[in-house]
Amino acid sequence: MTVVRWSLVVLGLLAVVSAPWLIGEGTQRFLSEAMLMLAMAQMWNLLAGYAGLVSMGQQVFVGLGAYCLFFASISLKVAPFWVLPLAPLLCAAVAAVVAVFMFRLREAYFAIGTWVFSEVVSLLVSKTERLGGERGVGLPTARLVDPRWLEPLTFWISAAIAVASVAGTYALLRSRVGLGLMTVRDNDVAAASIGVDVWWNRFIAFVIAAAGCGLAGAVSFTATLYVAPGFAFDPNWVVAMMIIVIIGGIGTLEGPILGVIIYFALREALTVVFGLSAGWYLIGLGIVAIAAILFEPDGLWPMVRGRLGGDWLSVRREPPAPALELSAAAQAAGGVRSSPTEFGATPGDR
Amino acid sequence: MIWVETIINGVLYGGLYGLLGVGLALIVGVMRVVNLSHGEFIVLSAFLGVSLVGVVPWLHPLALLLPVALIAFVLGFVLQAVLINRVVTRPDPFAGILLTFGVAVVMRNLMVEVYGADPRHLQAGRLAQASAGIGDLHVGVLPLLILALSVALFTGLQLILTRTRFGRIVRATADHRDVVRLMGVNPGRVYNLVMGLSLALASVAGMLLAIRASFTPYSGVERLLVAFEVVVLGGLGTFWGAMLGGIALGVAELVGLRLDPNAGPLYAHLLFLVGVLLRPNGLFRGRS
Amino acid sequence: MTLLEVQALDAFYGDFQALFGVTVHVEAGETVALIGANGAGKTTFLKCLVGLIDSRRGQIRFAGEPIVGEPAERISRLGLSLVPEGRLLFPSLNVEENLMMGALNRRPGAWTLARVYELFPVLGERRRQRPDQLSGGQQHMVAIGRALMSNPKLLLCDEISLGLAPLVVDQIYESLGSIRAEGASIVLVEQDVKRAAGAADRVYCLLKGRVTLHGQARGMGLDQLSRAYFGT
Repeated sequence: MTVVRWSLVVLGLLAVVSAPWLIGEGTQRFLSEAMLMLAMAQMWNLLAGYAGLVSMGQQVFVGLGAYCLFFASISLKVAPFWVLPLAPLLCAAVAAVVAVFMFRLREAYFAIGTWVFSEVVSLLVSKTERLGGERGVGLPTARLVDPRWLEPLTFWISAAIAVASVAGTYALLRSRVGLGLMTVRDNDVAAASIGVDVWWNRFIAFVIAAAGCGLAGAVSFTATLYVAPGFAFDPNWVVAMMIIVIIGGIGTLEGPILGVIIYFALREALTVVFGLSAGWYLIGLGIVAIAAILFEPDGLWPMVRGRLGGDWLSVRREPPAPALELSAAAQAAGGVRSSPTEFGATPGDR
Repeated sequence: MIWVETIINGVLYGGLYGLLGVGLALIVGVMRVVNLSHGEFIVLSAFLGVSLVGVVPWLHPLALLLPVALIAFVLGFVLQAVLINRVVTRPDPFAGILLTFGVAVVMRNLMVEVYGADPRHLQAGRLAQASAGIGDLHVGVLPLLILALSVALFTGLQLILTRTRFGRIVRATADHRDVVRLMGVNPGRVYNLVMGLSLALASVAGMLLAIRASFTPYSGVERLLVAFEVVVLGGLGTFWGAMLGGIALGVAELVGLRLDPNAGPLYAHLLFLVGVLLRPNGLFRGRS
Repeated sequence: MTLLEVQALDAFYGDFQALFGVTVHVEAGETVALIGANGAGKTTFLKCLVGLIDSRRGQIRFAGEPIVGEPAERISRLGLSLVPEGRLLFPSLNVEENLMMGALNRRPGAWTLARVYELFPVLGERRRQRPDQLSGGQQHMVAIGRALMSNPKLLLCDEISLGLAPLVVDQIYESLGSIRAEGASIVLVEQDVKRAAGAADRVYCLLKGRVTLHGQARGMGLDQLSRAYFGT
């Protein structure tokens, strides 16, 4: 990375670390929410934009992560942040099992099948008194955290999760798995025919996305200090993820970032400035999403990218450089023959 | 006895579920699009029914089935012509569901703004209470009527598709969208009519369901999931399969509720998941 | 009268150009063969004629009317009928229903359901069966019959011998005689050069989207043909 990029990273780090002292609690909470939403949107984008899996049940992992954190924290009697890693682990395990039978369904059927699964989990949790039933549970162990640090910690962790989601997805896509994923996305039959294990690549993406959503969900509900099935497994989580990615730009890393900015800007504009209820804001977003699918199915990022003159986080690859430099004569002779002077072969050799 | 009654009620209820699903099955079969706003249209029809009842309170809700179905037909036609036809030819298999997803979000929240979030109910008066008895067995008259109507509509749909010129054109368009153009058929226009038909069927199911149970603007989600489960369980491409799938779900739900009163649609969903695990191509195979 | 006149036709699939300045004409009552290897552009050419290719440039006149910008649905009413490559029968419809689909755009003429069953008696026996229950040759018969049901002035046949045993191909080609007798002109697209040249009055050869040879079928030497076909 260049000097410019490094200095941007350092500046960003400084900004995040010092923010709790510079901005008010309300703004911190708002930014935390936005950053967690970004992480979730990146996960949905990983699935839909790169693995070709449209999941409409992603909220199940948001909820499972939250419940996992709450009950681990409560039963182990430790501050919630210590048991945070358990949330993504549980979600990864559940996702691994779910994938086995959900992957039998294709495309739209997978989408709704995951939704049904989410509803089943939601219903099961609602019926289980030990998990708080329909009313849900609070988070008494939050008292174990010094209240002055609760908001800043949430803020820093949210920032870390957001950055990790972007960086992690970037790293994944630049790896072998990522290359496999992108071939699967573009043409899964062709990918299979060149030996890419379609199922396995999708499986990895699905498990990672579940873990990511679980982690973000856990932190999100820690901030509210309360979890109930209606909120935890609310389909509106995935509605938000989908709208953000569709508007911002599916299949790019920058898209969800742009999408989150638009989503929250629109929300603040409509509810705070115009004083409209949440319903109208969702209607507005829905209309924008429809317009996006009809007219800009690749989202707004490609348009913005043109104005900004380049990618921020491209995962496209350059083809490998040629292995041999041919002299002009060798090229004209129409074959790849090593130049005798470079490789020591004598004329007449093949 | 109570179990037999429960199962019979499940069958009757299931006929309604089948009706919820058959409209969706039609769309999926003909244009390979899963209309995620199907549930919202089901609920909208119920709200329209409630509004119309306000306008003509002397008319029994069942008499409003036809006008609401006609309105739904027009809405479906317009939805297809204006929005969905633009994405149906795209190679991306998700464009359709993402688009209809957006439509669902808009519709759901518009209904909240216009009608409010309180639960509503379509009153069927004395008919809802009436029951017919065969010996010790008591079965509601209304559920019987609903089953009869469902079967009639299913049969009607099947006859339209297999015996009429229009049905032939629809099936041909579903097979090869481009080849029918060589015979002078405009696939877009066929899709408009099919979507209208789909939503008309959904509207009947929506109104009947509103008589049986209360609903809110958020009920669309549940209806969509049921419709979808019916389509998948029944096996893609069969309508009688959808009816049988609906019945299976209806029985599962009512039996489940009797065993476990808090379950809601849990057992129906579980049946679906088990079905998917064991037979991903649907419980019944065949052709439409 | 010149039934079909194609002048300087270019066709594109996205950025890829498939046809370069193709000029072809068909007189009323003629049978014209269009031969060429796989990928030469023969099917693309036929698709342009019936309006299935959006990106095209040039002139196409059918019975004097320019049709190059028209959509397929409208062109189908003018009397141009296609037997598509690969038959493309409707699998959800039985034989008779497939044939009836062809009659949607019926123009007045000799071809009725009865007449098609006369031409291909085996179809009459299997009228209620679905395409997947028929043999390859029978499926070709349905495809041809479906195209005939509209009583076209010009019948476009795309590889009607593909994948069939020689005896079956003989049968199919024999039927062309009856089709011609009822007044239709025919464009035969084939990879099988001998067959096509044998059945046609005139031959065009396409190579990589360009017309490389054109002339009377009778006088064509095998040498000439293979040079135009392979481009060597």
